[in-house]
Amino acid sequence: MDQERAWIEQALKGDQTAFGQLVQAYERPVYNLAYRMLGDPAEAEDAAQETFLRAYSKLATYQPERKFVNWLLSIASHYCIDRLRRKGRAPQLSLDGPLPPQWTISKAPRPDQEVSQKEQREQVRQALETLPADYRAAVVLRYWYGMSYDEIAVTMHTTESAIKARLHRARRMMAHQLPAA
Amino acid sequence: MERWEECEHGEGLTGLMSLALDGLLEDRDRQRLEQHLMTCAACRQEWEAMQQISTLFEASPLVGPSLGFATRVERRLGEQTRKRRRLFGGVALLTSSLSLAGVTVITLMVFGLGIAAWRWLDSAAAAEQETQAVSQVVSGMGLLGRGASLFLGDLLLQYGAPLVLVLGISLAVLVTMWVWLYRKHPNGKRDNGYV
Repeated sequence: MDQERAWIEQALKGDQTAFGQLVQAYERPVYNLAYRMLGDPAEAEDAAQETFLRAYSKLATYQPERKFVNWLLSIASHYCIDRLRRKGRAPQLSLDGPLPPQWTISKAPRPDQEVSQKEQREQVRQALETLPADYRAAVVLRYWYGMSYDEIAVTMHTTESAIKARLHRARRMMAHQLPAA
Repeated sequence: MERWEECEHGEGLTGLMSLALDGLLEDRDRQRLEQHLMTCAACRQEWEAMQQISTLFEASPLVGPSLGFATRVERRLGEQTRKRRRLFGGVALLTSSLSLAGVTVITLMVFGLGIAAWRWLDSAAAAEQETQAVSQVVSGMGLLGRGASLFLGDLLLQYGAPLVLVLGISLAVLVTMWVWLYRKHPNGKRDNGYV
């Protein structure tokens, strides 16, 4: 943590090598969020790079009492939501509206029924693709980063009750996409 | 899909399901949910599907970028910095040129007014030959000021509000540009992220 603070302070003074250390330390969580949100490795790479560029230019606004990784994830999630909305790729669904075609999911992996990593990744991607951008971000932050409702709310600049509702609706949407067993 | 039967308890219970998946359900609500699931096939189906998805997500590890990601970011950062430096240089050149032009115009105006005042004083000198040098200088300065105010007054009378507006806007633009240059100076103190 002290090392992280030292890198931030050096980066604030213009030391790009120190910022490079921060990139190395947090490239995985940032890239993962972008990948889960956008569902494409090339786009995720671009979005993750853009996140770090934005973080560098906004570094003076970072408040040390906040976790640095959460601050980065906040930038990344907003960027990905904007990107999805601009491209019109995220569905604008409501539970009352028509649902998109079903996607398939294997049953929860059991020792005798190992699901390949690639297949599993594809299932996750398909499940997330059924969600509107802001629901998707809430789900990703909850499952991959173990954030509490409060932390997700701060990261996404919204309220805890909004996150609770988004997670509930997102889960319901994804559940409704599962084909009958 | 059609296969989903609607439960009369609606979203209330699926809300509890979501909280249960996050381990945030209180005992009383948990019992209520469990009892309901025993009797309602539609909700049981939904609950199983939600659990299935949760299990899938929980089993998915973090995915990392390909090797050399940090280097690629540093390269883009370098390009961005160079672009900003070029932009800074362009704005600095423009601001300096405009300021120099403004200063030149003001200097010429003051110089012209000075000459006019000097000529006027020369013609008046015959009548006031014995006036002391100090009083001449003082009155000269007074006249210079008066000449300037008359000149500006004439300009204002002739062109009025538009002139004042244009001068005001030009001054504001120049001041803004200088402030921007001061704040974003590449070798200066970093403000809002610019290096």
